[in-house]
Amino acid sequence: MTRTWWKTGIGLVLIAIMLFPIYWMVNVSLTRRDSIRRGDLVPLDFTLEHYGVVLSEQGSFLATSLLVGLGTVVVTLAVAAPAGYALAKLALPGRRTLSFLLIVAQMVPAVVMALGFYSLYSRYGLLDTIPGLIVADSTIAVPFAVMLLAAFMTGIPKELIQAAELDGASTWRTFRSVILPVSRNSAVTVALFAFLWAWSDFVFASTLNRGGGDLRPITMGIYNYIGAQNQEYGPMMATAVVASVPTAILLIVAQRYVAAGVTAGAVKD
Amino acid sequence: MTSSTLTAPVPQVAGRARDAEPGRRRRRRHDRWMAVAFAAPLLAYLVLFYAVPLIQNLSMSVHGYDRNTFVNGGAPFVGLDVYRDVIGQDRFLRVLRQTAIFTLASIAVQYVVGLALAVFFQRSFRLSAVLRGLFLVPWLLPVIVSGTTWQWMMNADTGVLNAALGLVGVDPVWWLSADNALMSVIIANVWLGIPFNLVILYSGLQNISPDLSEAAALDGANAWQRFWRITMPLLRPVSLITLLLGLVYTLKVVDIIWIMTLGTGTSQTLATWSYGMAFGKGTSAVIQYSEASAVGSILIVIALAFGLLYIAAQRRQED
Amino acid sequence: MTRHIRTATLATAAALAITLSACGTGGGDGTGSGEGSGAADAGTVTFWDPYPQHTEGSPWDELIKSCAPEGTTVERQGIPTADLLNQLTTAVREGGAPSVVVLDNPVVADAVGAQLVADAEQTGLDTTGFDENLLGPGIVDGTAYGVPFGSNALGLYYNASLLEENGIDPASITDWDALDAALETVTAGGAQGITFSGIAGEEGVFQALPWFWGSGADLADLGSDDAVATGRLMSDWIAAGYAPRSATTDNQSAAWDLFLTGEYAFAENGSWFAQAAADADFEVGVIPIPSRDGGVAPVPTGGEFMTVPVQEDDAEASYARSAELIACLTEGENLLNTNETLGYLAAKADVRAEQVAANPLWEPWAPIVEGASGRTTELGTDYPVVSALLSEALQTSLNAGGDADQIRTAFTDAADAG
Repeated sequence: MTRTWWKTGIGLVLIAIMLFPIYWMVNVSLTRRDSIRRGDLVPLDFTLEHYGVVLSEQGSFLATSLLVGLGTVVVTLAVAAPAGYALAKLALPGRRTLSFLLIVAQMVPAVVMALGFYSLYSRYGLLDTIPGLIVADSTIAVPFAVMLLAAFMTGIPKELIQAAELDGASTWRTFRSVILPVSRNSAVTVALFAFLWAWSDFVFASTLNRGGGDLRPITMGIYNYIGAQNQEYGPMMATAVVASVPTAILLIVAQRYVAAGVTAGAVKD
Repeated sequence: MTSSTLTAPVPQVAGRARDAEPGRRRRRRHDRWMAVAFAAPLLAYLVLFYAVPLIQNLSMSVHGYDRNTFVNGGAPFVGLDVYRDVIGQDRFLRVLRQTAIFTLASIAVQYVVGLALAVFFQRSFRLSAVLRGLFLVPWLLPVIVSGTTWQWMMNADTGVLNAALGLVGVDPVWWLSADNALMSVIIANVWLGIPFNLVILYSGLQNISPDLSEAAALDGANAWQRFWRITMPLLRPVSLITLLLGLVYTLKVVDIIWIMTLGTGTSQTLATWSYGMAFGKGTSAVIQYSEASAVGSILIVIALAFGLLYIAAQRRQED
Repeated sequence: MTRHIRTATLATAAALAITLSACGTGGGDGTGSGEGSGAADAGTVTFWDPYPQHTEGSPWDELIKSCAPEGTTVERQGIPTADLLNQLTTAVREGGAPSVVVLDNPVVADAVGAQLVADAEQTGLDTTGFDENLLGPGIVDGTAYGVPFGSNALGLYYNASLLEENGIDPASITDWDALDAALETVTAGGAQGITFSGIAGEEGVFQALPWFWGSGADLADLGSDDAVATGRLMSDWIAAGYAPRSATTDNQSAAWDLFLTGEYAFAENGSWFAQAAADADFEVGVIPIPSRDGGVAPVPTGGEFMTVPVQEDDAEASYARSAELIACLTEGENLLNTNETLGYLAAKADVRAEQVAANPLWEPWAPIVEGASGRTTELGTDYPVVSALLSEALQTSLNAGGDADQIRTAFTDAADAG
């Protein structure tokens, strides 16, 4: 372990550079509005006022965002994992066309999709509901998830699947007990992305969940600080800080699951 | 939800004992059905949520929509006039060039930095998991906040970036001026894109069995040779998809550019141009749905071209 | 074999069920009308405004809710100005328009052109007694479309102690030369000059118009020498270091935050910051924006209109409720309440006089509002195109570092394109 200390050192320097803009955001969130544009390196004109405002106003938005993020992960994986398998390992007719369509799908501007959802949702009463937002948010991640999972599943050795089939497992069984476990890395990766995209989505939230009151995600909570001629950057930055703490913890925990050699180990045996 | 219906053990595949020819055919047909079943949720999903808006978008680009006809109907069919008009504008080639620079520079730098970091984190060390997780934090921030932060850091008069440059004796830069805007939004966009590349490439590296590399090391290959001759070829499928997705996402980036410069000066790309026209935002408040859709369709065509390249590369790899 | 096909079918069915159940929840009661914006529902009146900063439970929110017509409740949504017209467009298209929408004055003509809002006569809005100049942007082809309940305007804030230190009398700044001389003096003394918003789009044009009109230029002729002079004035400020280079991307709020640092002598900004100016760490005064050759420059009117979107179902009853709500907010005592709550000056002379009498903060602003002109009054629905061309010319100018040829070309190009 002692031999890798230098790596930790370099890692810390790299992270310091990468997170400098975040430091800046924290700096601004702790500065009184009068000095916000002074460009001081540390919050000389210190205040906790912005956090007071945020904590009293944004709690429910935060909870909604978490719920939407997790729901999106579930929907995304449920749709994408079997499809990824079909693309990678099963004799899916027209799979090249399908991969191609997935690329096209990702080019559809979110705005265009939001409009489509709006007419669908207003017809079925799904506007301003959490399930509605979850389904919409999942569309950001699904094509990506399918492509990524398929790319990873392509690398699973044929022998593994053949062995399962020789043991008499059905396709579904093989998928569930062989493919899914060895795809844990990529599934966690996909889940992370699905979560983060849902977390940061603004276009769908502002079109489909405007009137959701407390049941709006945090990106909408920031609306409170955007007036017609007046934006309050202090509370906005404080909101971003407050919102990133729980998710940062979640990320670090999730990252541990993309553990070294999970797939490699399974394949080797 | 599906699993509860389907977990019931399904009896043994018939036909294995039968004579080879019809059995194989039946087997193939069965496999096909299974494949379709596995892809079915996705297919339903694509039709419902993507096909309809996509067709709407195309239809808008061949009709002459304004705000009134958008609401009340009656937009006249104009064929390819809108496309002709958009491509004929003076700014079209300029915007196209800027889009190319923005996209290629962003993904090239993101990929190289992401890969370097992924390799750096490949063997775990003290705190490596935590540090790796922290690299994703930029992603947690609403872009309105990170974009604003970049705008402030790049302030020409009081920005911290110029202050840092001053320490090493470099003259201050007017980052967000019309001429420098493209470079500045690329920097911010690279910063936003590094986490994405790091995560995918890192898990790609984790999926490569270390055996080959170890064997090569025993044969006397140095780390550099092992990386180029063994790791990179094995990482190719993941690299390809990372680059392709990076390309697609970068082509349609709007938010970070918009928050920093509203797409003014050299930072105008096809995506921001389309966005501005679709919403009547930015320099012009005139809403231009059809023009926006046409530019959107052009973007899709560009992505298609790269999609075809990707598929060709994929096929070469399989052969 | 058959079992397998059945499994496959089941999987498809299950997949469809997921999608459909996701779409179908509550499908029974939705029946085509935009839920959540329930203008069609007789029990609720929906109210959209561009003031999301006034959150639920704020005085503004309470005031609206207290005005709910009998037997109804008000559902209010605050949507940022930049998105409001587009959200309204989508809502009207899908049959879910709100009962009342508060629209920024320069977009009213656009909304009328797209048949999004109903005219005042049809809905029963009373527009009598409101100032001509403020009513202007809400009149399209002779027909009124909304109530301009309040207004704001641009002025020139100054940092009183900075001016005093540099021996400048704010009252002496009555033309461009005097302003430029003052800017030179303060920057030579080590302070900063002036902050303004030169951001692309309507906001930047709004800020440039006092100088544009003050030079004698006309929106109908963007290529005139006077128009070019506007571009040069602002470009020279940046070139000479009087104004920050970030002006090209600063919106009015950002420009105000710069002024709040206390480092700048002047700030062109709106009456909505009058209270914030009084609360600042240093003493702040305000003067009207000078025109080029002396005197007060006309500023564009700022502020919103209360309008009633077009309804399809049960329109008459819905309009009546909307009109009742608007009347409650804009008539009698409540016109004063509405304006004081939002920090606006009332669009009726008598109420404005009352505000000024009660609060000396308003004193310098009342004459500015009275001298303001509507942006769309002259050009109507052509305004957005002209504004976009002007915005491009301004952006080029601000980036030109005072280069006279480049600025002239930018403005003549704009004139040619129009």
